[in-house]
Amino acid sequence: MRSVWLLATKDLRLEWRTREIVTTMGLLAFLLVIVLGAARSDPESAPGAMWVTYAFAATLGFARTFALERDHLTALRLAPVDRGSVFLAKAMANWLMLVVVQIVSLPLFGALFTEAVWTRLPLLALPIALGGIGLSAVGTLFGGLIVQARLREALLPLLMLPVTLPLLIAAVSATSAILDGMPLSAVGAQLQLLGAFDILFLTVSWLLFDFVLEE
Amino acid sequence: MRPLLILSTALMLVGISWALLVAPTEVLQGLPQRIMYIHVPVVITAYLAIGVVFIGSVLFLWKKDARWDRLAHASAELAVLFISMTLISGAIWGKPVWGTWWTWDARLTTTLILWFIYVGYLVVRAWAPGGRGARAAAVIGIVGALDIPLIHWSAILLRTLHPQPTVFRAEGPLLPASMLPPLLISEAAFLLMFAALLVLRVRQERTLSRLIESLEGA
Repeated sequence: MRSVWLLATKDLRLEWRTREIVTTMGLLAFLLVIVLGAARSDPESAPGAMWVTYAFAATLGFARTFALERDHLTALRLAPVDRGSVFLAKAMANWLMLVVVQIVSLPLFGALFTEAVWTRLPLLALPIALGGIGLSAVGTLFGGLIVQARLREALLPLLMLPVTLPLLIAAVSATSAILDGMPLSAVGAQLQLLGAFDILFLTVSWLLFDFVLEE
Repeated sequence: MRPLLILSTALMLVGISWALLVAPTEVLQGLPQRIMYIHVPVVITAYLAIGVVFIGSVLFLWKKDARWDRLAHASAELAVLFISMTLISGAIWGKPVWGTWWTWDARLTTTLILWFIYVGYLVVRAWAPGGRGARAAAVIGIVGALDIPLIHWSAILLRTLHPQPTVFRAEGPLLPASMLPPLLISEAAFLLMFAALLVLRVRQERTLSRLIESLEGA
């Protein structure tokens, strides 16, 4: 657990000093909210716009985090920690960066789409957190998988979006019900699906990461 | 492989003729219902192909034997082929019966997403060749199969229009007995076709890798 924390803080410190990834992700998210809001800015469009924004920001950012490591993959392979810990550290760092982008873009959704973002904030945090964890798990697994492939930035969304579609459907559905003023009990099924997705993909990625980093 | 191919072709001719000429016309849907004799066998074959990709991928990562990778790769190509045929035959059936080529029903959505996942599998192999591409593809082959229940579950959240299974049910087939033989013959034909193409592609890939080895050796 300590090694996970050390590796994650290494990534986060690197990001804090350059602020490359979060800035790019944040700007893309900002741009997407504006583009989507210009197309349709009624409250019904808010959940879809929100998750399209998060998914695209994630695919952009997660393709970069392993690219940082590209010249140092051997160092990461030789590190005296098991590969599962490397996965958990990367996924945690990716998730925290995504959370920053999610928090920063929320005021935009509130301003452009619906005020309900503010009144429903405590409940809204549930799908945002659970959805972000799943996106980070899948994004980290695939990001590591294709770090040395050609056209890496183009390949990540091609792989990540279909696999995370159940998560996106559940997240959009939960977000929409919450923004409509439904109680927590109305989104039980969606939150269960999000939780199941997170658990499945954290476990599977943790197990498979051995093969991902192999030379 | 050749006997498989001949047997499959023969059964396909028998199955299609039986389905078109002998099987009764369904009362409500009329003639378009006969697409079932292709649609159902094809979708079952597609899921079998996905299962073979999963097993081949697990065994490849575990045993590190390129034979399993060739099996998974060949099966993934066939998965894309049979999923495409499922989507196309389903759309042709849906237009006259439901009045639409496409609807966001649970089964349709699941099948479409699977198409994207296995096309992604082939794209990874094309863009990351060699051992790394094979390992990346194997991980996708495993993740793709494990994702199926979640995709289906999420698509149910979107509502469902597709009929429930009528043949492979715990309570026994719901389908009229007169429709069953052509369906099963057609099913056998498509499964044999899958087996024949799988053997063919695995052999081709094996020859290719031997060729590369001998060129590298020379």
